[in-house]
Amino acid sequence: MSKVGIIANPASGKDIRRLVAYGTVFDNQEKVNIVRRVLLALAATGVEEVIYMPDYFGIVPRAADGIGSRHRLSMDIVSADIELTGTQEDSYRAALELNRYGVGCIITLGGDGTNRMVAKGCGEIPLLPISTGTNNVFPEMIEGTSAGLAAGVVARGLACKPPAIHPTKKLVIYKNGIPVDIALIDAVILKDTFVGSRAVWDAERIRQVVVTRGEAHNIGISSIAGVLEPVGVMEERGLVMEVDQGEANLLAPIAPGLVEPLRVKDYRRIELNEEIKVTDVPCLIALDGEREIEVREGDEVKIKLTFDGPRVIDMRTALREAALRGCFRGDAVAKHVRRLKEEV
Amino acid sequence: MKLTKEQLLGFYKTMTTIRAFEMKAAELFAAGQLPGFVHLYAGEEAVATGVCANLEQKDFITSTHRGHGHLIAKGGKIDLMMAELFGRSTGYCKGKGGSMHIADVDLGILGANGIVGAGQPIATGAALACKYKKNGAVVVCFFGDGASNRGTFHESLNMASIWRLPVVYVAENNMWGISNNQKNHMNVADIADRAGAYGIPGVAVDGNDVIAVYEAAAEAIKRARSGDGPSLIECKTWRHRGHFEGDPAIYKDPKEQEAWLKKDPIPRLAAKIIELKYASRAELDKIEADAEAEIEAAVKFAQASPIPSPEDVFTDVYAE
Repeated sequence: MSKVGIIANPASGKDIRRLVAYGTVFDNQEKVNIVRRVLLALAATGVEEVIYMPDYFGIVPRAADGIGSRHRLSMDIVSADIELTGTQEDSYRAALELNRYGVGCIITLGGDGTNRMVAKGCGEIPLLPISTGTNNVFPEMIEGTSAGLAAGVVARGLACKPPAIHPTKKLVIYKNGIPVDIALIDAVILKDTFVGSRAVWDAERIRQVVVTRGEAHNIGISSIAGVLEPVGVMEERGLVMEVDQGEANLLAPIAPGLVEPLRVKDYRRIELNEEIKVTDVPCLIALDGEREIEVREGDEVKIKLTFDGPRVIDMRTALREAALRGCFRGDAVAKHVRRLKEEV
Repeated sequence: MKLTKEQLLGFYKTMTTIRAFEMKAAELFAAGQLPGFVHLYAGEEAVATGVCANLEQKDFITSTHRGHGHLIAKGGKIDLMMAELFGRSTGYCKGKGGSMHIADVDLGILGANGIVGAGQPIATGAALACKYKKNGAVVVCFFGDGASNRGTFHESLNMASIWRLPVVYVAENNMWGISNNQKNHMNVADIADRAGAYGIPGVAVDGNDVIAVYEAAAEAIKRARSGDGPSLIECKTWRHRGHFEGDPAIYKDPKEQEAWLKKDPIPRLAAKIIELKYASRAELDKIEADAEAEIEAAVKFAQASPIPSPEDVFTDVYAE
């Protein structure tokens, strides 16, 4: 049975960067619209069951509810059995649960922070991340219909090998020898004490940056790597940068609309499995744009680059592969027409 | 974000003073000593504290029917507030207003308000006055989730936006409009989403984390003071008690209530202060004891104060 998971974060796209930068308020009605298109496309590819993360707004049920009677869906849509906390923990728990359900892939709606939480629990299940966050390096701006079609062909085993699905890197954060968290894009060491409103936007507080990737077109701290020495998704290396408060020597878009002058004192490539020691202690470490780990005097923190991050679906490649295999022609058309007639 | 030890201990003092005031009001109301209704702010202390810590005396706030916390955080005098709750002539309104009408214009407190959503146009008008007078002051407008459904909310945000007024709208989303859960009375989960309709920034923050509230409010107030216009901050929080004292709140799911009580903003701040070694548990206990003593002194002051005389009915009716 082909199953697809959906984790749509109702809280993404609403943090303080609407005030301190120029981030857009990503309202939940728009997420409902995107998921509606995802569901219709999944149904068209013959997916039989969708399991979703419940949330305080009810993004997926509202999406299903708003589909017109002439497009009634042929698949089951069920809520994952998790107790909601109203925190980012929900995305992690939902990913664990979707793993248990054995879904063929998980569509996420959120930013880098949301995907970081999903990555902690999704195991080998590939992700198809749709951007609805503030910093969106890991997810892409993808039309919901295209995302649904791609997830559908992957879940049905019609496009499930590289390059349609590719591995990603991650950073593992060790505190006093124990792995405490991960980041998919960047770990930023800040001269700060409090997690507070979580987001990162103040260049003056940045001391050190470790990235798995970074391009000049990225928005967020990883863009610093992008303008210095770009690191691609599939390159077997990362970059570490030391930042200080001297005269600025580069410009980088560290938040929406904020192209900030910064001074990078030093930088170098890092190899896979290399560990970077955090030297400026005490500090705060932001992971994928969110202040997360408080490091106190006496703590020892290391950051390790690995190539065992979540597997990710390349929407364009997956659809191309499926199209070349004739997945949208012949029998597939007849089956879909039959399903539509049965629903009516 | 920089916050000193003194600031964090100041937050703790304000929050424990609000809590002590509210718990005493609950006790007095149950004992039949307060003549009017009281709507308590217990559980929401981080919002008023985090926001008002960014304000100066020249700045203004408008409050709500659940206003004790706002007033204390803006510097309201505890003894005059308590005397007002007792209906005594030494109270803020000479004992004629009660809990829902306390104001102190000298402190920039433009009043609690018994009408849901009525503070919003007052705040907007005050912000227009600040801009017109060029006095550098800003206005903070506190209101609840239910009030964000009122026409006053939408009219106010629209007007403040087109005139770029120095006002910060703070939605205290405690999830309940009286006994009506938010999901039954609005079709959005985040009130912050509504800012987009008026072309102003809207952010949602953890309203039980005083540091997160402080940080968001600091940026919004800085923005307003710089002439960049209004903002909407939604603080997600929870009222520990019923809508009013005497409301058994049977509409609340006990499991949800229990989960929120675990997120009580006061123990959360205490844990942070102790972790940072800014104070010991014993020192925090002393702050709480001092707050309770201040409230007890206010109760004694109120109880010793006279009740307004029948002739006072005819005073303060018209402006002189």
